[in-house]
Amino acid sequence: MDSFRCHELCKVFDGIHALAHVSTEIPSSGITAIIGPNGAGKTTLLNVLTGFLRPDSGRCFLGSREITHLAPHRIAQLGFARTFQDLRLILQVSVMDNVLLARPRQRGERLLSAILRFGVEREESQNREEAMRLLRFVGLDKMASHLAGELSYGQQKLLTLACCLATEARILLLDEPVSGVHPEMASQILRLLRQLRIDGKLVVFIEHEISAVREVADHVIVMDEGKVIAEGAPGDVLERPEILEAYLA
Amino acid sequence: MDYLLHILILVCIYSVLAVSLDLLAGHTGLLSMAHGAFYGLGAYTSALLALRLGSPFLVGTLLGMLVGALLSLVVSLPSLRLRGDYFVIATFGFQMIVWGVFNNWTEVTRGPLGIPGIPQPAVFGWVIKSHAGFMVLAALLAVLAHWVVGRITGSPFGRVLRAIREDELLAQSLGKNVFRFKVSAFAVSAALAAMAGSLYAHYVTFIDPTSFTVMESILVISMVIIGGAGSPWGPLIGTTMLVVLPEALRFLGFPSSVAANMRQIFYGVLLVVMMMGRPRGLVGRYGFSR
Amino acid sequence: MFPQLLANALIAASIYGLVALGFGLIYSTTRFFHFAHGAIYTSAAYLGFLFAVWCGFRFPLAFTLAIGAASLLGVLIEIGVYRRLRRNNATSIVLLLSSLGVLIAAQNSLSLTFGDSSKSLHRGIAGEALQLWGARITSLQLTMIVVSFALWLLTWVLIRFTRLGRMIRAVGNDPELSRVVGVDADKVIVVVYAWGSGLAAAAAILAALDTDMTPMIGFNALLVGVVAAIVGGIGSIQGSLLGALLVGLAQHLGVWKLPTQWQDAIVFLTLLIFLLLRPQGFLGRPIRKAEV
Repeated sequence: MDSFRCHELCKVFDGIHALAHVSTEIPSSGITAIIGPNGAGKTTLLNVLTGFLRPDSGRCFLGSREITHLAPHRIAQLGFARTFQDLRLILQVSVMDNVLLARPRQRGERLLSAILRFGVEREESQNREEAMRLLRFVGLDKMASHLAGELSYGQQKLLTLACCLATEARILLLDEPVSGVHPEMASQILRLLRQLRIDGKLVVFIEHEISAVREVADHVIVMDEGKVIAEGAPGDVLERPEILEAYLA
Repeated sequence: MDYLLHILILVCIYSVLAVSLDLLAGHTGLLSMAHGAFYGLGAYTSALLALRLGSPFLVGTLLGMLVGALLSLVVSLPSLRLRGDYFVIATFGFQMIVWGVFNNWTEVTRGPLGIPGIPQPAVFGWVIKSHAGFMVLAALLAVLAHWVVGRITGSPFGRVLRAIREDELLAQSLGKNVFRFKVSAFAVSAALAAMAGSLYAHYVTFIDPTSFTVMESILVISMVIIGGAGSPWGPLIGTTMLVVLPEALRFLGFPSSVAANMRQIFYGVLLVVMMMGRPRGLVGRYGFSR
Repeated sequence: MFPQLLANALIAASIYGLVALGFGLIYSTTRFFHFAHGAIYTSAAYLGFLFAVWCGFRFPLAFTLAIGAASLLGVLIEIGVYRRLRRNNATSIVLLLSSLGVLIAAQNSLSLTFGDSSKSLHRGIAGEALQLWGARITSLQLTMIVVSFALWLLTWVLIRFTRLGRMIRAVGNDPELSRVVGVDADKVIVVVYAWGSGLAAAAAILAALDTDMTPMIGFNALLVGVVAAIVGGIGSIQGSLLGALLVGLAQHLGVWKLPTQWQDAIVFLTLLIFLLLRPQGFLGRPIRKAEV
């Protein structure tokens, strides 16, 4: 199982050290949480890992393969799926279409096949079946034909999760999957994450709500001011006074 | 009757230009000002091949489409990785340059004198001489163009194009090679515009650079916008409006040069009014808004 | 040969530079490509013709009126079209499309009024040809270079050292923030359109004194101005000068070596090279593709 690590990542924005020599390794199974106060650099780290930002220096690896300068779509094709802090979805199309978009290696996405349609109809109906299965998994199957824009915030978060799963990526990077949703929805999402762990997915999520982390994380990475200040098992790390202080400061 | 057929033929030709631009602008969200140039490239390539080498209409058309698609790479490869605004400027530059070549490369294109005597098209032995015959050919090609664009937009490829239009970063995060999609869409739209050009050249039998200026590009943009971008019928409706309505001006007795200017003033004003009131146009699905 | 080349490039650059400067100023303040700038250029030339030839005014009066009217036109476009669209949160593509609409409406209105044949403004005022460092240049052309540079300098002083200039820069950097600190963004934008259009108008008049005008001159000026602005670095005042010089040089080197039909292609090629290698131009700020 490939491990996912980065080495000495640095990124400066307008004089602010968003990432300062970040080196860490994400365990190759289970659920890892990246926590820290606002502005700690968590989302920046995620953006660098997924290729949306170029680091000023440093490198990232998936197993032995360097992924530092790969384009975001190439990294996605290697088996990563991510969500965004601002919940990116195509609001003007249906829930089903959003999930279908995420399906990988579609023959119908090649120009010639799109025009001539050899085997595309069959693949499309297979993709639809799989999409419905995923929507059932997250509990959105009844909303399949609704526009994504008509969903509530929590439902949209579930949809982004379904889209990630639709990509068949083994590694899921979720940016604040439970923030801003009411507690029932949060529990539902956390339950889904636990199920994904059982299914063999590697889940990495960013949160600043410690309770969610305590509930599901197997491993915690704590960041503050662009640096990794602690990592380890949650029971361990979260009791340390300096961590709690970083949050209160 | 012939006059009516003439109008319908023009509608067919322009609808090919409009639907191909809609693929690019309406579905992918990329505004191009180079459609006039690709239209001209198709016209000149096909005309020159027919006159100099005696090549048949279909061959000339196909080669014109190939030229259009290949030259589209000159614009797309450097500029599609940047923001959409820069792509528009690159297409503007391309349009101006290509027009300059049409107008100045007198050894080949005879510059402002134009190319007369383009042979009437012959398709599998059937020589098309009458307006009625041309109407059939134009309609067939228009249907073909609409069919190709419809297939593309209705397929997963089209789904990705619209995703790119709405949120490029999301598309990338889902593993889509956004650059490849954009380059392909541009090449297809350029090839179809060239096809319209070839049809036009063999219809009017005389072409000169004045038909392929940046104004022509803006005219096609207006057709797409006013009819409605991103929809199957929008381009056709916009084309019909903008071809038929100005003919009314001619009936009102304005001399043709005045009519030409007034027509374009009409397009320009309508474009501005549409952007202010109804960017989706008459039946469009996309209003260029975020 | 080379000094003549340089001289010709400088003359051309003096015109492009003003167009680029105006265009770049408008872009950095409002963040979209105001294509109708080309119409301002053409209008100024024709208004000059109107006042000087049709009305028979003396040149200084005619040109002042023309430049003033063209600046006013720029302001009217801003107030009548762009501002209303901005109020409705229009994207830059919607603004661009409306700009194109204005461009063709204005362009054709000029065609309608003045006809398509070329018009001349320069009845015999070229002045004697001087020999300067191996290049032949008329006193008019020398004036063009001097006036252009003076206007560029004036703009630079305005933006760098005056309060108005600071406000313009503030609006360009962050319109929201500037509003918070009390800058009336709308008024500033009007000033920018007036000034930018005035620069284009001046360029058009200068060019019209040297060559004939047709309704299409706006498109050419726009193209070269835009390329010069991008090459030099959109948003940088020094950049527009540098960009104009480079494009002028490239174009005239082209004239020297290439057959006529490929000359404009040099301008386009320059643009493509910069888009490929350095889209922010020489002195511009790096372009952020998209915010994550």
